[in-house]
Amino acid sequence: MATDFWTSTHYKQLLDQEEVDVVHNLDKERGITLEDFKLIKLHMTNYIARLAQNVKVRQRVVATAVTYMRRAYTRRSMTEYDPRLVAPTCLYLASKAEESTVQARLLVFYIKKLHSDDKYRYEIKDILEMEMKLLEALNYYLVVFHPYRALSQLLQDAGMGDATQMTWGLINDSYKTDLILMYPPHTIALACIYVASMLKDKDNTAWFEQLRVDMNMVEKVATEILDFYDNHKTITDEKVNAAMQKLSTRT
Amino acid sequence: MAGAAYGHLNLEESPSWGSRSVDCFEKLEQIGEGTYGQVYMARELKTGEIVALKKIRMDNEKEGFPITAIREIKILKKLQHENVIKLKEIVTSPGPEVDEHGKSGDISYITFFALAEIRSYSTVSHMDYIFLFESTGGHKYKGSIYMVFEYMDHDLTGLSDRPGLRFTIPQIKCYMKQLLTGLHYCHVNQVLHRDIKGSNLLIDNEGNLKLADFGLARSYSSDHKGNLTNRVITLWYRPPELLLGTTKYGPSVDMWSVGCIFAELLHGKPILTGKNEPEQLNKIFELCGSPDEVNWPGVSRIPWYNKFKPSRQMKRRVREVFRHFDRNALELLEKMLTLDPSQRISAKDALDAEYFWADPLPCDPKSLPKYESSHEFQTKKKRQQRQNEETAKRQKVQHPQQHTRLPPLQQSGQAQAQSQHWAGGHNHPMGNTGQAPLATGAPSHHQYGKHHGPSGGPNRYPPGGNPNPGAGGYYPDWSAGQGGVGFSSGPYPPQARAPSSSGPRGSSAGYGVGPPNYSQNVQYGGSSGAGGRGPNVAGNRNQQYNWQQQ
Repeated sequence: MATDFWTSTHYKQLLDQEEVDVVHNLDKERGITLEDFKLIKLHMTNYIARLAQNVKVRQRVVATAVTYMRRAYTRRSMTEYDPRLVAPTCLYLASKAEESTVQARLLVFYIKKLHSDDKYRYEIKDILEMEMKLLEALNYYLVVFHPYRALSQLLQDAGMGDATQMTWGLINDSYKTDLILMYPPHTIALACIYVASMLKDKDNTAWFEQLRVDMNMVEKVATEILDFYDNHKTITDEKVNAAMQKLSTRT
Repeated sequence: MAGAAYGHLNLEESPSWGSRSVDCFEKLEQIGEGTYGQVYMARELKTGEIVALKKIRMDNEKEGFPITAIREIKILKKLQHENVIKLKEIVTSPGPEVDEHGKSGDISYITFFALAEIRSYSTVSHMDYIFLFESTGGHKYKGSIYMVFEYMDHDLTGLSDRPGLRFTIPQIKCYMKQLLTGLHYCHVNQVLHRDIKGSNLLIDNEGNLKLADFGLARSYSSDHKGNLTNRVITLWYRPPELLLGTTKYGPSVDMWSVGCIFAELLHGKPILTGKNEPEQLNKIFELCGSPDEVNWPGVSRIPWYNKFKPSRQMKRRVREVFRHFDRNALELLEKMLTLDPSQRISAKDALDAEYFWADPLPCDPKSLPKYESSHEFQTKKKRQQRQNEETAKRQKVQHPQQHTRLPPLQQSGQAQAQSQHWAGGHNHPMGNTGQAPLATGAPSHHQYGKHHGPSGGPNRYPPGGNPNPGAGGYYPDWSAGQGGVGFSSGPYPPQARAPSSSGPRGSSAGYGVGPPNYSQNVQYGGSSGAGGRGPNVAGNRNQQYNWQQQ
């Protein structure tokens, strides 16, 4: 939704790393570590993206859904809020909030198609019930600003129109981390342009300098993005499965 | 999933996250019946603060939390302005509740049959509870959700429908200015309200006006490529481009509605009162002239233009029909009621109009008189309480409104006094004023008394019974105030008002008869399904909620 980011609740709700990296006590009791916590959120981000591909919604809906999921877990435990239900519910709610409504029926159909595993099999009523809990967990704050919005304009301005595809992809991947909870979206956009400049060997120093933005912050986000890619290579299915195993079995 | 777990969720959470229970509030009185469900006046137990609780109706929702409610919440959370209603918080109630009438206020998700058992569900085993829940319709959410708003004493329709109340010109300017300021703020924030009408403009006793009911609102951007539904805005306030089926539109749709309200405030009653969409268009064309490629370039490419274009050429008659308005008012109205949306005045430009800067200036909201709370719903309820069930029922269907509105006073400061005079002239109980209604039709004591008789000038109405045949118009104060221009000499529309029976205005006899235009049953009849204005008229609102797209 278009409006002024600086007056938005999104801005007021930006969190510090320490606030985001809190594993809920109930989850700790199940042996879930911070690394597991991050892995599960990453895994769920991918799950949301795959579901979204099937039900055919815009990237923006995916981005909003992932943001909801990550926000929810800063306040709720995975023990009480099974990520395998929360993830599709976030997509369901985001599709409404972003005016691209997806029927719950359709979502359930694709959940079953993607996962034969019983642990993923939730029904319409489960999604609708979780939707209410999720709304409450989000305190009904549903507007999310995304880095995509200013992207094409910034790229044009930087003379990097040819890097649109790459930068867009970098932004998509940034949702595999908690960056969207911690930094203003335009900072993430600039960091992705910064990374793209590096990858394309283009010197944009002068352009960045005249922007009058906090370059330390942009570089910090860029570093986190690069770290994520490094770290991503070490993630294996076994690790993800081990983390998922620690989640509660369904009651 | 554990069905009973929901209510416990908040208990261990910090209060800033997760919503409070509705039990923090004491419901005082139902003050409205909206699209979503009931609206209550309530008191917050801890602070004593009076608020309005708007229940989000969850029945018939196969798709969970209604997208209309999501839109409204999203929009209200981002709009923070003195002329936009403030959403204070959202509270939940974990299960079905029982309202003061002993009925379930929450039949929405559970059948009556199961209710008794649910009510004592602490004694029912967990499994039974889940079974009951699932057996009574499955997908429905079992609690209720309320939006908590600041409490407002009136809505514009309720206030202007008050027997005997007349707005002054500075008062009308003051309300219009606030309406435009609030709307400008919405438009700047790229929100279209899409249901501007009197009952959605709330007024408090400090004279502040706030836009409310964003249930049809949505965000837009000028580069928005998608289509928007044209099934929005209550019929009487719906602009021609929507009636002609356009799905690409912007803030100008709201400005048409503002024009209708503006004219209504000055005219004393709604101006374009179609029963259905073709009739509404026809009334617009009769007033504003027929659209063509000259006055509205591109109109012939709008989807239903060929279906609805008038068979004959009609000329614009706004200036003729409303010639009793002052020059600046008329000039502004002309710009608001412009057929071509791209030429219609914006809220920002309207605020700069001469009208708001010429004498008499808009008054300070705080200087306005304080009125006893008037929500249409309340007045109606009080009336009904004094009648037996049967009569009340019939009345609701036939004529929820029993009085005509009055045009504005030309001088400021009289509203209160006139109000006192008028209160006695009706058989329409007015809350707790304590004034015993006088016999109806006995307008003996003041200059506006002729309103009680058959309305209209000598040329158009049966002469009998008009106590002041020489007055020269329906609204004699206009004649007096504006150099003797009588309204009746320019009948609009041709078959204008229904001749009311010579009986008292409050009697039911006068409302079922007469030609459709401007007769009371058309203006206020919910059963017509066309132009209901109050929040109580379900038929029309339901129609609006048939979202075609988005």
